[in-house]
Amino acid sequence: MVLKSPLHKVHEKMGAKFTEFAGHMMPLYYKSIKEEHLTVRKSVGLFDVSHMSNLWITGKEAEKLISFTTVEDASRIKDGMSQYTVILREDGTVIDDTIFMHLGDKYMMIPNAGMNKIVNEWLNEQAEKHDICASAEDVSRDYVILAVQGPKSRDTLQKLTNVDLKTVGFFQCRYIDIAGVNCIISHTGYTGELGFELQVSPTALAEDLFYKILDAGEEYGIQPIGLGARDTLRLEKGFILAGNEFEGGRTPLEATLGWTINWDHEFIGKKPLLRQKEKGDYERLTCLLCIDRGIPRHGCEIQKDGKKVGRVTSGTLSPCLNKGIAMGYCQPDYREKDTVLDIIIRGKPVKAKVVKPPFVSKDWLKTKLGNI
Amino acid sequence: MSTKVKEDLKYTDTHEWVRIKGDLAQIGITDHAQSELTDIVFVELPNVGEEIKKGEELCVVESVKSVSEIYAPVSGRITNVNKKLEETPEVINESPYDDGWIAEIEIKDKSELDSLLDAEAYKRII
Repeated sequence: MVLKSPLHKVHEKMGAKFTEFAGHMMPLYYKSIKEEHLTVRKSVGLFDVSHMSNLWITGKEAEKLISFTTVEDASRIKDGMSQYTVILREDGTVIDDTIFMHLGDKYMMIPNAGMNKIVNEWLNEQAEKHDICASAEDVSRDYVILAVQGPKSRDTLQKLTNVDLKTVGFFQCRYIDIAGVNCIISHTGYTGELGFELQVSPTALAEDLFYKILDAGEEYGIQPIGLGARDTLRLEKGFILAGNEFEGGRTPLEATLGWTINWDHEFIGKKPLLRQKEKGDYERLTCLLCIDRGIPRHGCEIQKDGKKVGRVTSGTLSPCLNKGIAMGYCQPDYREKDTVLDIIIRGKPVKAKVVKPPFVSKDWLKTKLGNI
Repeated sequence: MSTKVKEDLKYTDTHEWVRIKGDLAQIGITDHAQSELTDIVFVELPNVGEEIKKGEELCVVESVKSVSEIYAPVSGRITNVNKKLEETPEVINESPYDDGWIAEIEIKDKSELDSLLDAEAYKRII
């Protein structure tokens, strides 16, 4: 069964071309992936990301449950703050990456599309197993999630609220009225641009809000943006897509997410991670920028002098750079910055060099405009 | 959405078009194909001089999201390729039947042209 977004008819009206992603039918693009991508980088775009999951975590020991099941010590994340983290299996591999928001006496967690049941069940199982007085509730079907992203995103949303959006700092979250709709706003996003995400419930309120945001952003050239551009935008910034980068079982150390780990607390998967950290000889996620012409794709082998040293997990043509870009796991000896490797595309080696993410810097727009 | 189909060309059911220029078959992809792909960002052109059989993979055309194989509508030797597509692949989107031509093949067996679709037949399948 494929689930449609509550805004499906809106997307149809706007001429969306649909795709299926993790059991959800979502817009892939409305006009073109490239055009939508550049609109977000230059101005502002509106995304329906309702395919993502929503869980409420409540109870006396809600904070403890999050601390135990993620690599974050949730006592550090105060009311009105959110955090990006990973949920691990006992063997240290990642079940899902997620953001959680501390809202009063409860937490809203946003696992990936199609992961709501798995994460919800996992959290409740662990709560029961370890006698933690807290529970998770899957409310994904009750929420529409809208993302407003780009240099003009704040100006767009500011027109629709009395709250000074400059007071909603990076990774902060709160309840807010946007165009008369009470929703949860967070200064978060998956594009690397200034942006906000809105959790809207009940879903019946979302259609009107969607159109009001498009109206407010019209003077900035706002466009609705599909999943195609969502993927190229995140990849240009070196952000992880769980389905690709955690495929086959990966630890946060391998995925270069060591920075999310708060080692000073007990969490599921800690022991095997410590062992892996000590050994140090694990493959790591690596960013590659193509030197030759060619577009790397998921599954392409990475070689050095004819020897396999890794595999691509995400690849595309960067609309900003007009070059192929990729993320993949590489053996540790081959990923020093500027190392030149070969990505094998349809049997031919395409030269690419190791770069430190992001592929597209914060200054891209300034530099681009400066060059005109 | 209705796409353009040129009356004076021949077509395949895999959305290639053929313009017969004497002994040569000029090949490209149709307006329908380019609109399905949207922004074409990469074309891997075939090698001049290579022999190819009808139905074999001639080359690859890529959009941001997908990789599409283009098939040879006729057998023969590849005599010419549109080098412009290496720098500006989007020409295929802008002008699929003219500036966006992909390759030319010296037709080995003229009878292969009989099994190609005419404009009316192609319109029926899109």
